[in-house]
Amino acid sequence: MSTIASRAQVRRRIRAVGLWLTTFLLMIIICLPGLWVVLSAFRPNREILAKPPIWVPEQLTLNNFGKIFGFGAEQVGIPVLAYFTNSMIIAMTSTVIALIIGVGGGYAFARFRFRFKNGLFLGLMLFRAVPGIALSLPIFILWSRLGLIDAQLGLIIVYVSLNVPFTIWLIDGFFRQIPISLSEAAQVDGCTRWQAFWRIEFPLARSGIAAAGVFAFLTSWNEYALASQLTRTTDSKTLPVGLMDFTAQFTIDWAGMSAMAVIIIVPALILTFLVQKHLISGLTFGGVKG
Amino acid sequence: MIRILRTKRQALTPFLLLTPALLTMLFVVAVPLIFSFYTSMTGYRLTRPETIENFVWFRNYLRLFENSDFWAAFLRTIIFLAIALNVEFLLGLGIALLINKITWGQRTLRTIMMFPMMFSPILVGFQFKFIFNDNIGILNNALQSLGLSTQAIPWLVDANLAMFSIIFAEVWMSTSVFAILLLAGLFAMPRDPIEAARVDGCNSWQVFRHITLPFLMPFAFIAMTIRSLDVARAYDIVAVMTGGGPAGRTELLWTLIARVGYDNARMGQANAMAYVSTILSIAFTYYFYTKLVAARRYMGGAQ
Amino acid sequence: MASIKLNKVVKAYGKVKVVHGIDLDIGHNEFVVLVGPSGCGKSTTLRMIAGLEDISGGEVLIGDRIVNDLPPRKRNISMVFQNYALYPHMSVGDNLGFGLKIAGQSPKVIAERVDEAAGMLGLSELLDRTPAELSGGQRQRVAMGRAIVRHPDAFLFDEPLSNLDAKLRGQMRAEIKKLHQTVRTTIVYVTHDQIEAMTLADRIVVMRDGHIEQVGTPMQVFNHPVNTFVASFIGSPPMNQLPGRIEGANVVLADDSRVPVPPRLMDRVSEGQAVILGIRPDDISPLGHGLGMPEDAEQVATLELRVDLAEPLGMESLIYTSIAGQEVQAKLYGPRIVQPGEVLTFQVALARAHLFDAASSRALEVA
Repeated sequence: MSTIASRAQVRRRIRAVGLWLTTFLLMIIICLPGLWVVLSAFRPNREILAKPPIWVPEQLTLNNFGKIFGFGAEQVGIPVLAYFTNSMIIAMTSTVIALIIGVGGGYAFARFRFRFKNGLFLGLMLFRAVPGIALSLPIFILWSRLGLIDAQLGLIIVYVSLNVPFTIWLIDGFFRQIPISLSEAAQVDGCTRWQAFWRIEFPLARSGIAAAGVFAFLTSWNEYALASQLTRTTDSKTLPVGLMDFTAQFTIDWAGMSAMAVIIIVPALILTFLVQKHLISGLTFGGVKG
Repeated sequence: MIRILRTKRQALTPFLLLTPALLTMLFVVAVPLIFSFYTSMTGYRLTRPETIENFVWFRNYLRLFENSDFWAAFLRTIIFLAIALNVEFLLGLGIALLINKITWGQRTLRTIMMFPMMFSPILVGFQFKFIFNDNIGILNNALQSLGLSTQAIPWLVDANLAMFSIIFAEVWMSTSVFAILLLAGLFAMPRDPIEAARVDGCNSWQVFRHITLPFLMPFAFIAMTIRSLDVARAYDIVAVMTGGGPAGRTELLWTLIARVGYDNARMGQANAMAYVSTILSIAFTYYFYTKLVAARRYMGGAQ
Repeated sequence: MASIKLNKVVKAYGKVKVVHGIDLDIGHNEFVVLVGPSGCGKSTTLRMIAGLEDISGGEVLIGDRIVNDLPPRKRNISMVFQNYALYPHMSVGDNLGFGLKIAGQSPKVIAERVDEAAGMLGLSELLDRTPAELSGGQRQRVAMGRAIVRHPDAFLFDEPLSNLDAKLRGQMRAEIKKLHQTVRTTIVYVTHDQIEAMTLADRIVVMRDGHIEQVGTPMQVFNHPVNTFVASFIGSPPMNQLPGRIEGANVVLADDSRVPVPPRLMDRVSEGQAVILGIRPDDISPLGHGLGMPEDAEQVATLELRVDLAEPLGMESLIYTSIAGQEVQAKLYGPRIVQPGEVLTFQVALARAHLFDAASSRALEVA
């Protein structure tokens, strides 16, 4: 009797350990590349390029960061601050505009029945499906005519259209999570439909809208294909373009490049952490229930 | 009379709300697409702007079909996507099932799992360019110092290894999308059908195949739809990791477009290629979206 | 405190009509219950009164105003929703005062009215809580409080008790009745539960498939149903309905057994007419165990029946038996335990039995 019980227990133990081991391995594979880059950002090139590899850092330094921002002994002359500012301005502006457009559109899909509804939704999605590089060709030509090359505004406009479909999809999902009886109760209580939206539905969807905003921000922050073609100088070049330039220009300054990579990734990680659960609920609720 | 006006106004509201979105997409995507199509039917070269008037009908497209570089890139892209997406789906499913089983620290695991998704593709490309570098990349360093290999493995140079490397990078970046959505599906799944199946005598595999998997399909299709929207982000990865090389060994459709259009300035030709890739993406997205809608309907009944 | 009138009100979705031109007069302070099975149009009708659904045809009047084109906020009505629809991001106090705030009332008036309503419903201690922190019954009361606070012309209730468990439902029913007595306002109440209808209503409106089947006081609808649908919908357990044929002074049932025609209906029947005999379980009982059986022998029919099943309910039992091959439920009053298989003499109170024309389903009592 006791042997059977303990055999099952042992099996369960082994399974649990196996589960943990696999998960651990998995997390390592996920985190390691990123961690290696982050680590390299704080080490001098000498260490990174050493053979055999120096696993445990002997010397940690902030030199690389100083370097790329233009301080310190070894100035590199890549205007990372300019790239950072451009990325920030472009991403924030396009996000805010995309959200405003998206809230209206998302609400329309969530609350109304109208002709062509499904077709319109599909249309929005399909527009989004156009590959960035494919879209960059005609936009490059058109934007040249319009004087929008190498202008923050040029990228902002493009990024708004890049973000609108997905923002609408997410916000549609978030509004659907709010029972329509709340809006009806507000209308019976004396609100116009607009007042009911502002006082009841919008506040309740706020966190979801913020999540959609973060997603849009990240899309703009991380975009490369269009940015690479529509920008020329530090007037408008964004961080991803900067990193690519860096790798082309300073092919062996891995430490410096890693530092730049860290600057790109940190805001993204922070924002992701803040909104993870909202994103999933917005995607799936709208996605599965229709 | 008032009633008619009021109903008319009410009926217009959704359209009014959607107007900004529609206008944006129209001007920033639709118009350029039309222009792109027009350009693809000209012999436009950036270096000689007047050539945009040079209308050649479908010559660019015909040339494409005769062009072996194009077909090679096309094929490579298809293989790339086929492998990457399937691997992402299977891995994502495995990860989701794994995390579902773990109770302690699940939230942290889920958060960690989301990280790769938030990296800029440029970053992912850079990261793996660093790691796969045959001289100073830690992969080769590790392999050599562990004694598993004696020479530098040309991860980014050899044709097959390079394809492997870019696929690895792409899978690393996008598996999370599947994992997260499938995990959400697993969370949302009602326990009763599973328990009923167990009582009815099904083993774990049968429960998975007949109960769990069908329930997860809508979530899988959401993930596929989302992926197909962003499938061209692989361009960023390849551009930074290998630039489509060396010697075109990792040339995908998108890097070819960039090369022909911007490096060689042959805009007409590039637009034709771009159109092919656009149609591919749209067809992909449309396909999965319709599957999603069908699966929704199916699951809606079950729910 | 206004009356509500519905004139040939129609609701259609495209070509499909769900409410077919109903007429209804609801008086000042009257408590009217719309009752019927799912899909009968009762909620749709209520929502048309509220202004949450467009009116496809006919007119709705609140007081003397035609309100067809008025949005909900201009109709001066309040509504209690099935899922309460409390504003989750506001405290109970803010929930109660929301309507007044929108109307621009001074904070002093708002505080007064909120306190008044809270006191009436026992919510005074809960004003600072959020809806998430409340129990089902408490949420229900907040929903009612929100309705009271605005002193509307009418209260509309849309199946407010459906989400509560049976015990709570009983309590809340009493509270709603008390509310009506305190706050003397017209109430239109929708439910699918005929017990709620019977206990709460001044008048009941029985609906089916978008039509009004009968309007009357609970007793009228219970004692004088106009057709077989109302007869089987109102009253629990439902009325037994036996098909038969008129022959002379008797109703001949499917197995040729005979039941006398209820004396009061003798001049309403015609020879050979196909009819349905309706007997409520309360009106058919074993000899000596009935309630209120008529003394007059002419008003009572006697049948020998075999007991199939007995469900003891305490001081009464529900007896399942069969007449002419059809299952019939009967009531036994008293503590006697009956076994399946026993054959007993049953008495039928003909004075309270009903006859319906089989073809039209209409009661013979009605013209």
